[in-house]
Amino acid sequence: MAIKYSEKVIEHFKNPHNIGELEQPSGAATEGSPACGDQLSIYLDIEEGTNVIKDIKFQSYGCASNIATASIITDMAKGKTIDQAKEISWKQAAEELGGLPPVKMHCSVLAVDALRSAIKDYEKKHLGKEFDESMSKENVKKELQKIIYGKVGVDILTLKLVKYIGIDNDNNIIIDLEMDKGDKFLPDIKEEIEEHLSKFDRANEIKINVV
Amino acid sequence: MNKEQVYLDACKTTRLDPKVLEEMKPYFLEKYWFPGNFTDIGNEIADEISESQKKIAKTINAEPGEIIFTSGGTDGNNIALKGIMAANREKGKHFITSKVSHPSVLTVFKALEDEGYEGTYISADEEGYLDLEELRSSIRKDTTLVALTHINHTLGTVQKIDAISEILQNANHKINFFLDSCEAYTKIPIDVKKQKIDAISISGHKFNGPKGTGFLFVKDGTKVKKTQNGIARLHPLKPGVVNVPGIVGITKAADLIFEDFEGHVERLANLQKKLYDGIKQRIDDIRLNGPALGERSPAHLNISFMAVEGEAIMMMLNFDDIHIETGSACSAKELKADYIMMNTGRTFEESHGSVRFTLDKFVTEEQIDKTIDSLEKTIKELRRRSPLGKKKTN
Repeated sequence: MAIKYSEKVIEHFKNPHNIGELEQPSGAATEGSPACGDQLSIYLDIEEGTNVIKDIKFQSYGCASNIATASIITDMAKGKTIDQAKEISWKQAAEELGGLPPVKMHCSVLAVDALRSAIKDYEKKHLGKEFDESMSKENVKKELQKIIYGKVGVDILTLKLVKYIGIDNDNNIIIDLEMDKGDKFLPDIKEEIEEHLSKFDRANEIKINVV
Repeated sequence: MNKEQVYLDACKTTRLDPKVLEEMKPYFLEKYWFPGNFTDIGNEIADEISESQKKIAKTINAEPGEIIFTSGGTDGNNIALKGIMAANREKGKHFITSKVSHPSVLTVFKALEDEGYEGTYISADEEGYLDLEELRSSIRKDTTLVALTHINHTLGTVQKIDAISEILQNANHKINFFLDSCEAYTKIPIDVKKQKIDAISISGHKFNGPKGTGFLFVKDGTKVKKTQNGIARLHPLKPGVVNVPGIVGITKAADLIFEDFEGHVERLANLQKKLYDGIKQRIDDIRLNGPALGERSPAHLNISFMAVEGEAIMMMLNFDDIHIETGSACSAKELKADYIMMNTGRTFEESHGSVRFTLDKFVTEEQIDKTIDSLEKTIKELRRRSPLGKKKTN
């Protein structure tokens, strides 16, 4: 079957909202990487005291759905408090666009991830909040939750494809995946896992076993 | 689809030439017989097919009896590769191909490996040329076949067939030399005798012929085991229905190009140059993928636009009714970067922003102008949106 975009995705790709940069953002973040194929930067202007997002801009190095999901999520976040904006899920963003093809669902995850990271950046800089970003099993799990199995458009944790997460004494992260070795999405999932877990500076090697 | 479409994806497939359709029509509606003996229409059709074999053979300097009509490039590849390996099984089970061969070659070899055959996949350099030293050193006593893609479908690289032939001729035993020439036929001259080629697979729909047609050249005396069974009406290697309209169609399509082959190639090369020059003049930070113009296929251009993504370019051009192909992982069903780009030392970014333009005889100069205009606008807009684009738009 052909992979198709909804009319709303096309509309947001043709005329994206909130494109650009903010000169002095109160919070900003970049997620993804050119190596992975998509990269998204989000810039926030947040009113101190009320914590309302007054303005929001984005820049995307990515495909049509990447641009469209960034466009819709910045629309959704504008005018909301940071606590409300943090609650926006990738499923909601995709629904708001009239759906996304399963293979493109990761774009919606990236958009949510970039928004939440930008808010976190604000919270750190302006609210003095501290976050546990250590290489704990819990934080590894949070990263894996952002990885979508492109065949069905759902994350690999929800699909129970991850059978084991471990960190050994040499700081190697060990992931056991229950997948067919011939699965065509396996190379993509492995790449995504490496990309996401490489943000833990302490990580030595990322070992992925397919069981 | 009322508006004129600018179709620059001829490497994938092409529009049927209306003259070809006219030629085929009677063989659907009136002369729908199979070739036969003793009866008038059956004879007429048999003569028509003989004539087609002669005409096709002439285009690659083969003998008429060496031409087998198939249903396309993949069909020909399957018949030849499986058939040659099976026929030579006693002599050896080793084949050589390359890491940048077309999937229709690689998938056949994957199936052969599952049956116990062994393969060596030689590398290519940055421009897509095969490492001939590696080819030479990969030859084993039990190597029975070297099968390569003549022109690379992604980079437009024309492999050095004469040099490859020489290596094979100098081996201590007979090694069959097969070429998938689907991209090469009608773009560069092919002479199977001079170039010492044993088998070639060609597809009709790549040069404005009908889909579902093709031909296989198999040099007289080459051992090929039958891999399909049925009534052999024309040739034992391709039994079953005889696609008479298709045979007439692919022959007419070839005729129309070979009546002025040099003129056709020159026209393509001029369009290619016009497109490349236009892009170079109006868009900065681009990379040409594959060999320089003049050394590559005249119908083929592959360019990476830095800081932007190919699927987005493809869709933007589509809004202007222009059709191209991209190597971006985003446009791939399994989100994988193009294997040719990755196997010829390109970065992800280069692969990601790569656009392939491939030409056929229906492309006009006006369409090239329109494409350059649309590209300039598209790249400017996508770089404005891109976090990597800042340094590129200043």
